[in-house]
Amino acid sequence: MTVAIRATDLVKSYTPGVRALDRVSLEVTNGEVLVVMGPSGSGKSTLIRTFNGLETLDGGSLDVLGVRLDSAHAEPQVRAIRRRVGMVFQQFNLFPHLSILENIALAPVKVQKRPKEEVEQRALELLEQMGIQEQAQKYPAQLSGGQQQRVAIARALALDPEVMLFDEPTSALDPERVKEVLDAMRQLASGGMTMVVVTHEIGFARDVADRVMFMDQGQVVETSDPETFFSAAREERSRRFLSQMV
Amino acid sequence: MTRWADRLITLLLLVLLGWGGWGLLHWLMHGAEWSVVSANLPLYAVGSYPSDQRWRPLLWIGSCLVMVVLTLVGPRGASWRRFLPSLWIAMAPLGLWLLAGGLGLLPVGTRYWGGLTLTLLLTAGSGLLALPLGVLLALGRRSDLPVLRWSSTAYIELMRAVPLIAVLFFGQLLIPLFLPPGLEINRVLRAVLAFALFAAAYIAEDVRGGLQAIPPTQREAAAVLGLSPLQTLQLVVLPQALRVALPSLTNQAVGLLQNTSLMAILGLVELLGISRSLLANPAFIGRYLEVYLWLAAVYWLACTAMALLARHLEVQLDPVRSNR
Repeated sequence: MTVAIRATDLVKSYTPGVRALDRVSLEVTNGEVLVVMGPSGSGKSTLIRTFNGLETLDGGSLDVLGVRLDSAHAEPQVRAIRRRVGMVFQQFNLFPHLSILENIALAPVKVQKRPKEEVEQRALELLEQMGIQEQAQKYPAQLSGGQQQRVAIARALALDPEVMLFDEPTSALDPERVKEVLDAMRQLASGGMTMVVVTHEIGFARDVADRVMFMDQGQVVETSDPETFFSAAREERSRRFLSQMV
Repeated sequence: MTRWADRLITLLLLVLLGWGGWGLLHWLMHGAEWSVVSANLPLYAVGSYPSDQRWRPLLWIGSCLVMVVLTLVGPRGASWRRFLPSLWIAMAPLGLWLLAGGLGLLPVGTRYWGGLTLTLLLTAGSGLLALPLGVLLALGRRSDLPVLRWSSTAYIELMRAVPLIAVLFFGQLLIPLFLPPGLEINRVLRAVLAFALFAAAYIAEDVRGGLQAIPPTQREAAAVLGLSPLQTLQLVVLPQALRVALPSLTNQAVGLLQNTSLMAILGLVELLGISRSLLANPAFIGRYLEVYLWLAAVYWLACTAMALLARHLEVQLDPVRSNR
């Protein structure tokens, strides 16, 4: 099995003396779904944002799809990684001045220089896959949160990424909209996509994750398969966290 | 008690309005002598432009008018509407060519330019120069490069601290000093340049406000899609920022149009300049009220047209077609 992401001793601190990431090491193999859980401020969002260069590193190194990234944060490497890694944010971050179709087609046309017709064809297929093909001509503000997040997933997929990063993709959604987004992600996982998902959705983690990683105060507390983690977590800190969740 | 007070105030206001209205009406019917306007309509429109070439500025004003009408009341969703933005931008160079001549037209010196034509051309020319300069200054002020940031900030603060009239005088005197000897640019161009340099500082602050309204997450989203910083600016940040800044930019445009009247002090015979020279004519002595009322009406019409166009643009640029 080839390794998609290898992190070695990642260190990141925003304020001197406080480590948002404290010597974090992990491996994600190709086709694997890794779910990252932990209380707020545990560093899970910071971690996932280092994987495509949205956060700079203060120490340690990353190997993402064979491209090395360290505290030097070399711009060509960052760009090489972003070309092959897709990301979905908590707040969707769609471009409000562009239609749904334009949101999805923007990067394939402008960055990958693919022909517009082909890209729009693919965009419509992706929207259909997400179950929202009839929204193509609308604008983000006209869609519900769940629909917007599915557009955001389609937008990332339009670049044919090899790895998908999800940073709390359902945390900003109304409860009744969470399922439609999780279903789209399940579909993606069953298609063999390599995924790193920061989430609080226990059901999703239990069904879809190959492994669950639990973080606290910038450190990895434990990494287990979901069965073990949710029924018999090894660490006291993990059990305490799980007991406080509904 | 309060109801009585309300009624009293209403009554007083009505009496006041009626009194003022009656006075104005009386003057309009019996006192006003409009020959100062009606006899000089060509002067107001085109200044002392050679009469056999007058069709050129008139053609330009006419096409501006046609553009306004087409844009505002032309059928929605017509296919030619997508050419409107380029046509509007083409109006300034078209006006310049029609007025200055060359390329098959008889050249006409700027000292013959005047009236509404000159007012509109000064506004369009300085506005078109000031907008890109203002955007660059706004970006410079938010730049990570210290020298660029400081110099942009210094420029903006300096320009805003100097009255426009002083900038215009400086422009007439200083711009020639920076030019290589032998190269001379005329009064109108110097005025347009000084005007654009001044307006750019204000536009920069409006654009900066627009830039600040765009959340940093928009840049992040563009970055993870692989867009370069320039593409991010051009495709994601600026379109949104300018849309936010549009109401204040409209304000600047209307101000620009009205401030062109300051050029009369520099001896340009735009709308106000031509009026002043008419009032100096013994045949029209003392007709201040007629001339300035007429002038007010013309400025009001031009500004209203601009405001309506800007409102139209706002609706066009709002993808959800709502009044947020």
